[in-house]
Parts: sequence; C-alpha cells; structure tokens
Amino acid sequence: MQALYEERRRRIEKTIALEPVDRVPAAFMGMAFAPRYMGMSIADFCAVPENRTEVTLAAMDKLGADVWDGINKLPCGKIVPQLTAAWLSHIATPGKELPADSLWQVQETEVMKPEDYDVILDKGWPAFLEGYYPRVIDVDELADMKAWVRDNIAHVVQRCRDHAYVPIAYGGTATPFEYLCGGRSMGRFFIDLYRDKDRVRAVMDHMLPYMIREGIQAAELSGIPAIWVGGWRSASSLLSPQIWDEFVFPYFLELVNALADKGIVSVLHLDQDWTRDLERFKELPAKMCLLNTDGMTDLRKAKEILGDHMAIMGDVPAALLYAGTPDDIFKYVHDLIRDVGPSGLILCAGCDAPINARPENMEAMAAATREYGQVMAGP
Amino acid sequence: MLEQLVKALAELEEDRVLEIVRQELDCGTEPLSILQACQRGMTEVGSRFESNEYFVSDLMMSGEIFKQVGVLLEEGLKSASQVSSGTVVIGTVAGDIHDIGKDIVVNMLKSANLDVTDLGVDVPPARFVTALQETNASVLGMSGLLTLAFDSMKETVVAIEEAGLRGRVHIMIGGGPVNGDVCEVVGADSWGADAQAAVRLAKTWLDVGAQT
Repeated sequence: MQALYEERRRRIEKTIALEPVDRVPAAFMGMAFAPRYMGMSIADFCAVPENRTEVTLAAMDKLGADVWDGINKLPCGKIVPQLTAAWLSHIATPGKELPADSLWQVQETEVMKPEDYDVILDKGWPAFLEGYYPRVIDVDELADMKAWVRDNIAHVVQRCRDHAYVPIAYGGTATPFEYLCGGRSMGRFFIDLYRDKDRVRAVMDHMLPYMIREGIQAAELSGIPAIWVGGWRSASSLLSPQIWDEFVFPYFLELVNALADKGIVSVLHLDQDWTRDLERFKELPAKMCLLNTDGMTDLRKAKEILGDHMAIMGDVPAALLYAGTPDDIFKYVHDLIRDVGPSGLILCAGCDAPINARPENMEAMAAATREYGQVMAGP
Repeated sequence: MLEQLVKALAELEEDRVLEIVRQELDCGTEPLSILQACQRGMTEVGSRFESNEYFVSDLMMSGEIFKQVGVLLEEGLKSASQVSSGTVVIGTVAGDIHDIGKDIVVNMLKSANLDVTDLGVDVPPARFVTALQETNASVLGMSGLLTLAFDSMKETVVAIEEAGLRGRVHIMIGGGPVNGDVCEVVGADSWGADAQAAVRLAKTWLDVGAQT
C-alpha cells in the first residue's frame, strides 16, 4: 500500500509540475455524496468527525479503489464549523435546523454590519473575529472542531495513506473579499464595493496578512504542502472588470505569492466562471497553483492560456452528475482528457459532486477515468 | 431632464439618479413618468449586461438604485395606474434557502413593469400552486442553487400538473447549476442563465399570452 501511495503521490506531483505522467490522475470530491452513497445520514456525517473521514474513504473504495489517486481535500474535522469559519455566516445544520438527511446550507444574510468595517480597522481582524463568531456559531463548537483537528489530523492523514489515497490539500484560506462577502452577504457587500470602496479597500489591506498566515498555518498543521485558496463570490462573471482588478486579483496575487514563497501550492478552488480573467493568472507563480473549477470556467481556454503555467483539476459538472447518463459522463471525461490532458490535468468532479449525484454517474466517472486516462496518456 | 435620469441610471450614478428624481418631483413631474424613465434606464442596464459590458454586481447596484427610487415615488404612485405587462410568480424551491439570484431576477422583472409575487425561499410545491391560483399568473419562475433543488423543481411541476394548471402556466427555472439537461429532467418549459434571460422569457410568454 505504501508503494502505491508513493506512486500516486509522484503522479500528482508531476501533474502539478506539468511533467508527463503515465496516466491522468483522478481525485475524489464528493463531500455530501459520500455519506448518501454509503447510506449514512448527513446529520451523522456532520456530528461525528470520524464519520466524515471513514465514510469518504469507504465511498472512494466502493467507487473504485484502483481509480482514485487522491482526494481533493483531506476529510478532516466537522464540516459545519469549518464552513462557518470560511463563510462567516451561520450554516443551517442537518439534524438541528434541517432534516437529518438534507444538505447543510449557508444562510446568507447580513450578519456583519457596515460599522463592523470600522471595528476591524480599530481593533484588528483577530479581535473582531472573536466578537463576531458568536453571531454565527456556538464558539465552543468552533473551538472543539479546531482542537479535534489539531489532535487527530495526523491520524486522518495516515488513514488516507492506509487506503493509498493522496490528500491533495488540507484547509484553506481566501482573499479578504470572500470573508467580507460572506459576513456582509453578497447583496450588501457588492453594494459596498460601489458606495464604500475606500473603506472596504482599507479593511482588505488590513486583513490580507491574516489570510496568508491562516494558509501557512493550515499547511504546517497537516504537513501537506497545498491548501485551498477559495474564490466563490469573486468570480469574473459576477464582477465588473474594474472591481475585479481592484478588489480581487491583487489580493489573490499577494496571497498566492506568499504561500508559494513557503513552498505551498495553492489549489485555486474557483466557483462560477473565471474565463474572462484567465490571462491574469499567468502572473501567479508558475507550477505552484492548481486551477480547480466547477464546470463553468472554460477549461479549453484555460489550457490554451495557462497550459504551460499551472495544472488544472476538474471539472465534471454537478448538473451533469445529477441529470446526465453514464454515457454522457463517459463522453465528458473522454473529451476533457483529450482536450485538457493528459499532462497537467487531475480529473475531478467540478467543485463537489452533489449529494444527489446518480451513483451510476459517479461510477461512470471512475470507469471513464480508468479507461481514457490510461489509453490517452500513452506509454 | 428625464433623459438624463435614464442615462444616470444606466451609468449606475446613484447620487445623480436620486437627485434628479427629487428635482423632478419638486417640479411637479408625474411620478409615473419618472418611474418609466427609470425603467428605461434599467432596460439599458439589462442590454449592457447582455453585451458583457455589465456584470452581476452592476445588476445588483442598479436594483438597489431602482429600489430607492421606488421609495421616493411610492406616495405619488399610489394614485397613478400603470398597466402591468403581466404577473410572474417566483420562488426558491423547497429545500433550498438561497435567494441572491432570485432577488436579482425579481428586481429585473419589476423594473420591466411586471407584477411579481415573490414567495421567498424553501417554497413547497403546494405553495407555488396556491400562488398561481390566487394570482392567475401565467408565468412561474423557480430558482435553486443546489442540485437538490432539481428534485423539488420536478415535484413542483408535477404538483402544477396535478392541479390542472400546467396548460396555462409557462415555467422557467434558473440558478447556478441549471442548464438545458436539467430543464428537461425537471419538465420546465425553459431555463435562464441569468436575470436578463428570465426577463426575456417572461416578456416573450406574456406578450404571446396577451395576443391569444
């Protein structure tokens, strides 16, 4: 198992380094799909951190232990507090506010008020967060999650090794944009970017070093030299170029550069369509990023523009995994590997395979990867 | 001056728009004329969105400005009667609580002079059916960000069929992962990738409906 793990780790490393590979590596990503597929309630998945780890590994085994080289993100710790910390929003939890077998959901409301910008500037980001968290989560739950991760992360990494699955990244950070957008709500925050831009910029400038530190600490904690750098509400398709150029990319650049200086790869986990601004991504450090998209960014374009600069991870779309047929999946995977691979591509569900992805489609994704990843990469 | 209002709204110049609206009201301009100028400004915003000159953030800002104009005009519009182009029932389907996309669509539909019955989020099929019966609307918009929403959309379409309303209601769906395949699985009539597509669909259906 150890030899297989090393073989897979090298394959993924080569892919990120844009070197030739013997086959296209595949990564599993299906946080809520895994428990549904294995018959576990989402409430149980959320309540017991060990469940998250074990049911994810079990789902990967069942789909095809020979297929997956790795897992997009280490399945470590309770998901709801982690999402709360990333979104700065209350997360409705299955088994609490939601039925036991429904999906957790971000409640996007205006929790952070305009006057909080001044609090951040006056007291600093860490002090602000301390006062803010009780608005969105039981702080004991958050502390428990952090303590559990600290105490158990080495074990979770080992569990992945036991199954010969390489955790590509652990933990994450994001640009200040994402945290503020989560706290203020997208509706209010986008208006702030027009009405209150100087104050927002000052807050972002203050916050960025903390976002960098968070990323470095995550990598140090896990020992995995890659973290997620999220982009969900700062996509090109959502923002005017002026706003994107001013409030998004400069922060991405500084964040990713700082991580790269520490030898940390940024898994750019990008929701929505970023095609318009792919050219700018050439400014990010070469071979230190993994462009991880959700099916909306044009990956053919990405390959054309960034093919010699960063690897790509994606992007079988959630809607296809739900509404498509196994034949559709086979075609999608075939075409993706043909057009975007074989080197510099890690095959993965776009963003996250949904809870109600058809199992036969997930199995088809595994089977198609097995078939086309080998053949098309050649000897 | 009203032409300047159209332009100011199209340029998303919030202060200028509100200033002109106040001036026009002070001068005794009919609130309905002011509203119609703003609707023309919003139409221009929609056109710029379709030509990739504007993006979602711009739509949201225009909606915010339009909302404020509505507050200024509210009193004066009470006695005015503008004939609506039709009614649309809209909501985020059961099991999904996301409202950002839906709210943008609601704003754009309203600014296109449509009456909108917004049922909010996590709307069960029966509530959609009741609203369609109560408003006699012939257009329904269902929104959802999660793929889980697709099952609810499908159930809602079935409920509308069972209530005997399917023949007179055009159904459109939208939200992050929605596409043509999803539309087919759900049994909707069409889908929109953005708010402007929703406006276009609704207006097309309502225009056709008005002619028959």
